[in-house]
Formats: sequence, structure tokens, C-alpha cells
Amino acid sequence: MRIVAVMGCSTMALLAAADCSGVGDQDAAPSYVALDDQASELRADFNRAKGSVRLLFVIDPICPTCLRGLDDMNRDLLASTDDPRLVTFVVHEPVLGAARVAPWLRTTASHDVPAAAELLHNPHVKHYWNASGAFGRLLADSVDLKSSRGRVYAWDVWLLYGAEATWSDAEPPRPLLLMQQLGALRDSSEFPHLDSRVFAERVRALLAKLPPQGGSPPAPAPKTP
Amino acid sequence: MTEKPQVIGTASGALGLGAFAAAVGGCCGAPWAVALFGVTGAIGLARLAFLLPYALIGAAILLGVAFWSVYRPAPASADGACVSQSQRRPLRILVWVAAVLVAALSVVAFSPFASS
Repeated sequence: MRIVAVMGCSTMALLAAADCSGVGDQDAAPSYVALDDQASELRADFNRAKGSVRLLFVIDPICPTCLRGLDDMNRDLLASTDDPRLVTFVVHEPVLGAARVAPWLRTTASHDVPAAAELLHNPHVKHYWNASGAFGRLLADSVDLKSSRGRVYAWDVWLLYGAEATWSDAEPPRPLLLMQQLGALRDSSEFPHLDSRVFAERVRALLAKLPPQGGSPPAPAPKTP
Repeated sequence: MTEKPQVIGTASGALGLGAFAAAVGGCCGAPWAVALFGVTGAIGLARLAFLLPYALIGAAILLGVAFWSVYRPAPASADGACVSQSQRRPLRILVWVAAVLVAALSVVAFSPFASS
């Protein structure tokens, strides 16, 4: 009887622990906001963070190159700071496979977002899921993202906004810097290929111009051998 | 026939390098890498993408060696008799099959979906 009681208590403790590891735990998977086609929530959050340096990353959460970009950004910039003057928005959208031409064949889903989101270790990062992929078109129009062959859909792009940027129109404002990892823009001089160290340097330069607040500023880039 | 292990080895090596090139090239545009290897594995694969051209060059060299082995003038055997063409036919088929497969894998590696 005593053994049964001990086992019952152990089971209850395990169940309780399992329950605690879900919602409400600080180590739980990062949450995200579903984004409408006008990106209303992102726009509100972007304008609410005016006065901060803002980063906007647009990725497909199952694209290995995008994930490598997130990992590099985390390593070179975000993991080393909790500076509240630096706010990051990450828009996840389905692109790979036939997602854009045949949405019914879409392979990327919202459940792919948390695993990608866990790559960024910074308290001031917010994630969004845009199921329709409309944000990619909206952003491509706003920054005039095109190659010699025409308009290029905006994904795997990494944007930097200054503290004064305001999103007042339907489209996002033009960034101070846009880096990308798109094959269609391989030779672009206007939109350089992503180099997370250069990106981080630009962010640090902008932060240095802002009045100090709480939190530790980003650590300087490690010396390369 | 002493050239048999050499031909099989070089053709297999070429296929292996072709498969590696397809994996690191195709990983970045095909929606399978994260499902198969997880986020960390997919990032690792993406970090190896710079090796793609070297893998294909290596595959081409190995195929060249394999073709040279099966189309060079037949060496004389120990008793002075030449290796007949019919004895080489299976090896030639093997090399051609490997070449076609490596070409297909190269297309996968450089497909429009292979880079974002």
C-alpha cells in the first residue's frame, strides 16, 4: 500500500512538473503573433518602439540559410546585449517549396516558428507569423527590391532602422541598411549580402548616438584572427 | 583485371562527392533539411555550402580518372594476352551511369530552389 502511495505521489509530481514545463515557464518556446496582410500588429509595435534602434528580419523558419543568418546575428549581436534601446522584429513567412505559387503545397507552418525563434537569445525580440506571405510583397514594394529580371520577393532580408524611423504609410519605411541572402540579388550593390559582423557594427554605431538607458550595450565584435 | 577496383573506387567517390554537393546545395532551397536534421543540423549544412564547387570539381576529376581507366589502351595481362573489350563493358557502363548520376546531382545542387 505504501509503495502504491509513493508511486502515486511520484506520478503526480511528474505530471505537475510536465505541466509546469509548458505555458508560463520562462524556458518555454518563444511565442509569436499571427500577422495580418496589412502587418497591423508589427506596424503598431514598430511605432511603439520609436526612439530605439530597430531591426527587422524576414525569414522562412525552415530555410537553412535564413536560420544560419539568425544564428550569426545572435552570435555577433543579440546574445551579447539586453540593451532596451535595441528592439528586434522577426517576421516568419512560408516561402520554400511551392509555398508562393501553390499555397496548398505549403510545407512551412506556424509550428516551425518556435524552433527558429529559439536561435535568438535576447529579451527584446518579437516574432510574427505571416501565413499568407503578403508581408514579403509589401516590404518588396516599400524598399523597391528588384533585380534586372524584375521585382524580388522580400525574404531572407535583414533591415536596420534608426531611432527616428516611423511607419506612417501602408508600407514599412525605407531602412538605413538592408542586407540579404538572395540568389536573385547576388550582384546587388544597393543591397549587400548579409555579413552579420558588418551589420552588428552599424547597429553599435547607431546605439552609440542614443542617450544611455539600462541594460548592457552590445559587446564589441570579437577580433578575427 | 586490376583496373576493376580502381574504376569502382573512383566512380563511387565521384558519386559520393556529387551526393554531398546536392545535399549542401539543395539543402538551402528544399524544405527537407530542417525536418531531417533539425534546426542545428540544417544550419550546419548551410555552413558547408561553400564546399559545393570543390565537391563538384573533385567529382569531375574522379570521373575523369574512371573514364581514363576504362577507355585507355588495354594493358597486357601476365600471360601476354590483352584484356578484351567485352571484359571492360560492365565497367564502362558503370562509369557512364555514375557520370549521369553526378550530372543529375549537380543539377540538384545548382537548381533555382537551391539558393534563397
